[in-house]
Formats: sequence, structure tokens, C-alpha cells
Amino acid sequence: MAKTYDYLFKLLLIGDSGVGKTCVLFRFSEDAFNTTFISTIGEDTAGQERFRTITTAYYRGAMGIMLVYDITNEKSFENIKNWIRNIEENASSDVEKMLLGNKCELEDKRQVSKERGEQLAVEYGIKFIETSAKASIRVEEAFFTLARDIKANTEKKLVCIWIIFVFLINLYIIVNHCE
Amino acid sequence: MEDNQEEVLEIFTQDGVLITTAPATYIHYLNNVGTLLIVEYPNSNLTRCIEWKPLDLTIDSDVQDQEWTVVSTVERRRTYSGSLPVDVNRSKHLKINMNDIKSFRVSHKNQKLTFRDGKGDNVCSFIFQHGNCDGLIAVLKGILKTIVSRRDKHVYCILDDIKNPERQQLDKSFAELNLFQEQSSAYVWKFVKNFPNRPYEATMEAFSKITDIVYRGPEHRLMDSEVHNILHRSLEAIENNTTTHSHDEYELIAHVPRLPALKEYPRGRPLSFEQWKALQDSEGQVEDVEAVKLVIFRGGISSNVRKEVWKYLLDYYRWKCSHAEQQNLIKQRNEEYFIMKLQWRSMTKIQEDNFTDYRERKSLIEKDVNRTDRTLDYFAGDNNPNLQVLYDILMTYAMYNFDLGYVQGMSDLLSPILYLMNNEVEAFWCFVGFMNKVSSNFDMDQAGMKEQLQHLHTLTAFYDPEFANYLYKHDSANMFFCFRWLLVWFKRELSQQDVMRLWEVLWTDLPCQNFHLLICVAILDTEKNILMENNYGFTEILKHINDLSGNIDISTVISKAEGMYNQIVDAEHLTDAVRLIIGLPILGNTSIVDSKEASPDISDLTTNGDTDEVSYENALTHSFL
Ligand SMILES: Nc1nc2c(ncn2[C@@H]2O[C@H](COP(=O)(O)OP(=O)(O)OP(=O)(O)O)[C@@H](O)[C@H]2O)c(=O)[nH]1
Ligand SMILES: [Mg+2]
Repeated sequence: MAKTYDYLFKLLLIGDSGVGKTCVLFRFSEDAFNTTFISTIGEDTAGQERFRTITTAYYRGAMGIMLVYDITNEKSFENIKNWIRNIEENASSDVEKMLLGNKCELEDKRQVSKERGEQLAVEYGIKFIETSAKASIRVEEAFFTLARDIKANTEKKLVCIWIIFVFLINLYIIVNHCE
Repeated sequence: MEDNQEEVLEIFTQDGVLITTAPATYIHYLNNVGTLLIVEYPNSNLTRCIEWKPLDLTIDSDVQDQEWTVVSTVERRRTYSGSLPVDVNRSKHLKINMNDIKSFRVSHKNQKLTFRDGKGDNVCSFIFQHGNCDGLIAVLKGILKTIVSRRDKHVYCILDDIKNPERQQLDKSFAELNLFQEQSSAYVWKFVKNFPNRPYEATMEAFSKITDIVYRGPEHRLMDSEVHNILHRSLEAIENNTTTHSHDEYELIAHVPRLPALKEYPRGRPLSFEQWKALQDSEGQVEDVEAVKLVIFRGGISSNVRKEVWKYLLDYYRWKCSHAEQQNLIKQRNEEYFIMKLQWRSMTKIQEDNFTDYRERKSLIEKDVNRTDRTLDYFAGDNNPNLQVLYDILMTYAMYNFDLGYVQGMSDLLSPILYLMNNEVEAFWCFVGFMNKVSSNFDMDQAGMKEQLQHLHTLTAFYDPEFANYLYKHDSANMFFCFRWLLVWFKRELSQQDVMRLWEVLWTDLPCQNFHLLICVAILDTEKNILMENNYGFTEILKHINDLSGNIDISTVISKAEGMYNQIVDAEHLTDAVRLIIGLPILGNTSIVDSKEASPDISDLTTNGDTDEVSYENALTHSFL
């Protein structure tokens, strides 16, 4: 852990396989887009449905969760509801959530309108942003918004958070995740 | 119910409790065995009491002298709740108002409990002949606010009472720390920043700041309930942390069996072309398959024969076939492959539109093919024809085994095979052979993975109880951090060359089945000190294990795993649970680990991780899935 950090949060990116979670994270941490990535296995960003039973173990201690879908893939949007149910069953109830519609530069392949994304977010009372890891659109904004919300949330309950940090020793670093 | 009928709620009862110290009024009860109760009188201001009632027959004179040496051979009987009208004899109970208790001390392997009045006198003490007082302590912790004494770690001070001096001072300390005002955030975040580097020191430093204030100044301030709750939670957490280190008063009863020493098993030379040819007869049949496998297990395969030998190891070729039969087989397999390939290639657009399962599968494969080993020359660049072959094989496999279809990770397993074979049909059939060995990794319900993780835990617990106990205490007994290792057989951790060397060793099934689990145990054994010294929890362990990728020396790991295998099979205390995993015949005289009854909450409360005995037992008994 060579870098220094102002804040440490454990943050998860969740969504179907291939929606671009790893790319979004990489865009945020390294400001780059890399097409030679490998699919994620056994980390807290894994997406394939079969591994859902395993990924629930990773929810523990998470302070923020980004729900990611691919705007060119209707199914990945429909599955957001399943992911939310999964979160409700496995993560702490006050975890900050945010909805991300990724690959938004692919306007001609769009299957999910921005309005539907917004509507779903309203339904669940969470924030919504359309991003593109490839074209570098609003990725930073998404992370900072979520991080700010977590921070605001935590300052309200400062002492509680402090105690959690001390005793559960469950920290994670949002900006240092990618391999 | 009428008000004059006093209601009583039994929060806790435990039989077989001997009373050894009692207030003067109850002196006649001394050294009698009876039932200990925690009761609540909802209609009375005498809200909670510790009660004890004699068992009529009592006086177990044996017990008097030996005290706690009565070990927990008697089955525990406990109930945790129940509301009943006051029984007429209740007046005869030894009854102590909880408000008169300021602390309690646990001793004699958690079989003795002494309540104190805070003025230096013991109010009463009990010896638990049936089991221990863990259950009672759990209940007391639930209804009282307790903190482990700084002077004696076996003493729990009760903070519930507003007049308690320690409590008053703690109240004040929090007020002085100003945790609820703005400036505090700077302090807290500074602390939090420090935390990942030196979690333990940071914690202790922070708490020394609190306790310093605690013991200064008599002024009394009331906490609001929120602060009080938080304080309570923090104290509970400290308590749970610190009690895990206290065990010096106890004696070890069980002897922890030791493993024989780890011996060195240097790697051998790879199977050479000459050796390979020498092991085949003129017809091309391999007589002594075990001899071939043994050489491969010891040293792998030279690159100039690897391609051919893999076909045998992966059941594409038959060991006992002549060249002619082999040729025939190859021809058949070739035809079969192209039939299956044609099946999906000839799917029309409309068929596809009406076939959701197929479409989803196809899209998964497309996504993963584009993300498989693209940094290797063999798969690099856009429009690389090898990507198309990778795709075709995976699609054909999805037709070959439609029930399984395609699951993430399968492209990883195919990649080295295709790279080596550099031939679509051969790679397909070798891949089929590999998948036959590991298809349970991709079960829909993940049963195969869960079982392996559990086996891995069992092996770890047997090999290194202390480490297994550490994992248990850090929410990691599920071994999920090894998920990727197991799913794709270390493909993501090793270079292409190294993964090939490992796989061929594992395919020999030598020296035992599930040797890949011992590979995991060997790597974990190398890393455990880092994990434990840094006091890593689940997230950090996961990150650390993921970050090992690219830094594993596979030859060293294989020989270490072989050494561990030999330690395990030579162990006198080898259990059936371990025998089952590594494929040895079971003896039926050791119990297969299963202790769903052992409540982790309660054992966690009082077990003391520093002793081998306890860690050994914990490690063996904590099942997790
Ligand atoms: N056009 C476009 N493609 C993207 C974008 N983000 C990711 N991709 C592509 O989508 C594919 C999947 O991206 P990943 O980031 O690996 O997906 P993931 O969500 O991490 O998937 P899993 O690891 O399997 O759960 C890759 O081929 C990326 O190149 C984007 O913003 N625009
Ligand atoms: Mg990913």
C-alpha cells in the first residue's frame, strides 16, 4: 500500500458479465481503456450469474455499491433488479448504491433508453449516471458522486464508522483495485 | 393477569451448578449442586436477579474437593427463555439483585464464575459441572454492558449501573474527546488513514487516548443514549478482541498431535523424448502407464513431447492402442467434431431469435473470447484467427455438452491447450478430456466449488490448526479467496508455461487425488505469516491472494505440496475426513468432521486462539457452508 489516501472505502461494482465493470474501474484508476482485459473471476466485481452465490460473500463490509448495466444490452438492465434483490439480502441496508448505464457512447446500438434508467433509479431511490469507460464519459463523476455520498453518510455517523474501522478491519481502497 | 400475581421471566437456566461461595443468609446452600437462573421480574423494581435453587438430593461430595476438575463429560442442558408464574418455592432461592454485582470473573477453563460486589468481596461463586459457563456469559453480555478489566483479563466489569465509577469516567472521556463535534473528524480520519498500515497499533493508540482520560478526573457527565450505544459497541469489540488472548490461567488437557517434519522433495527431470519413446512398444502402446505418470509427476514433460503426451493424459489417445487403432479413433473424433460444429453453424437467424439459451451462451462466449490471454502473441491483435478457433471450439463444446454450456473460466482452460495443440479438432478433444476432470467446477449450483473449498478448509485445519482458526476468526473459513485458484487451476496466477507444467503434474493424479488442494495449502502456508501478522480480514486476504498472481514459483510450490502430502499421510492422527479427500481408504474409527451443533457464537466468545489445543478443535469443527 504505497499510495496514500484521504479516505478508504470498500466499494463493489456489480452487474452482469461484460457490462464493463473492470473497464469502468480501470478508467477511473488509470484513466485508460484497455481492450485486452480478462474476465473477472473470484473478485468482488465478478458478473456471471453462476458465481452469484460466491460473490455474496464479498458484500460484507462494503460501503458503496455501483450497479452497472450495459445500455446496449437489455438483459443486463433487466437483471439490475435481481442484483438489487441480491444486495438487499446480503449487504448492509445502509450501503450507498448507484446505478450506472455503461457504454453510453454506443448510441446506435442502444437498447435501454436513458429515461428507463432514470426511472429505475427513482424507483429504488438511488442516483443514476450514464457512463462510457471507452470514451471516458462521466466515469470520474460517478465515482466521486458515490464517494461523496458515502462520506456524507459516514460523517453523520462518524463515530460508528470509526468503530467499524477499528474493529472489523475491513477496508478497501477504491482507487487501487485493478490488476 | 392480576397484578398481585408476580410474573417472572426466566432468561437463562443451567443445571448442575455447584455453589462454593454465598452471602451469609444462604450459607446452608454452600457446596450444593443446583440450578442457576437469570430471571427478570417485570412487575417489580427488583428487575433482574441471579438465582440459584438447590437440587433436592444434592451434596455431591466428590465435587467439593476437586472443584473444576469435573470436566464437561455431562451433556449440557440449557434453556434460554420461558415465562412462568412464580413458583411457590421461589422465596427459598438464593437471590442476588443484579444491581449489587459490579463484576464477574471467569476461571478454571470457563467452569467457574465468581460474582463480585465491586468493593473487593466475592458475592457468590459457582462451578459449572455440566459443561461451562459460556452460555451464561453470552446471556450476561446480552443483558449487561460489560468491559474486560484492564487489570485482570478474566474479569468483566459491568457498566450498566450509572453509578459505576469506571462507567462515569468513560462517559466523561467521550465528552472530552468531542467525538461528536466537528474537529473530531480530523482525528478520526487521521486514525483511519493510519489504520491499514498498522491496524493493531493504531487501535491501541487510539484506545490508550481514551483510557488515559478515563482514569483522570472525577467529574460526572451523562452520556446521551446514542453515545452510550456506540461506546458500548466499541467496548464489546475491544472485549472480544482482547479476550482472545487470555489463556495463561488454563491448563492444556488435550495434547495436540504433531505432524512429522517437512522433508524436501526436489523436482526431477522432465519426461524426455527418448524416455517417452522407450516406454512405448513398437506398436506404439504404452505398457507401463504408471511409470510414465510418475516421471511426469516428478518433473513434468519436455516441450518436444508435451503435445503428444497431453493427448494421452487428456484421454484423446488411448494408452493401450496400437497405431492403427489410434488412427481409426482420430478419424472418428474428427468427423464427430465437424458434425457438432455444423449444428451451431447452420443455425438460422430465426432459430437463433427463438432460442434464448443459445443466444445468451453465444454472447458470453463472444465476450470471453475477446478477453482471453490477449497479451500472449498467440491471441494478440484484432482479427487474430486463433480467436476464431477459440470461439469455434467453445461453441462446439456448448453443443457437445448443452447442459453445461459455457461458463466463465472455460476459455481459460482451453487457451493453453489450443496454444499447444495449435489444431482445432485436437484441442477440442483434449479440452473435453480436461473438462471431464473439472466439470463440477462449473455446476449451476456451485456444489463442486463449495465442496472443494470445504475440503480445502478441512486440509488446512488438519495441517495448520492455528492458521485455520485465524481464518475462522477473520470471516474467511469459507476459503473464498481461493476460488479463482480452484476454478481455473491457477491459470490466472501463473504464466502460460508454468500453468502447463502444473496441469500436467495434476493430471497424473499423483501422489493422490485432489493434489491441487495441497497446492493451495502449500501456497497458503507460505503466505500465512503475512496474513496473520497484518491481521488481515476477508477483504485484505482476498486482495493479497489475488495480488500473488505472477509471483508464484510453481516448482517450489509443487515440491512443497509433495512434502506436505507425505507429512499428512505419515501423521499418526490422520483423520477419515482427510483420508476421504486424498483418496485413502477410511478407517472408520475417527469421526468425520461435522459439528453443526457447536455454536460458533458461543465458542467464539471464550475460546482462546493462542493455544494449539483450542485452535485445533475450532479448526476442525467449524463448518461453514
Ligand atoms: N464500447 C464500449 N465497450 C466497453 C465499454 N466498457 C467496457 N467495454 C467492453 O466490454 C467488454 C467487457 O468489459 P469488462 O470491463 O471486462 O466487463 P466486466 O463487467 O468486468 O465483466 P466480468 O468481469 O465478466 O464480470 C470488453 O470487451 C470491453 O472492451 C464502454 O464504455 N464502451
Ligand atoms: Mg471484470
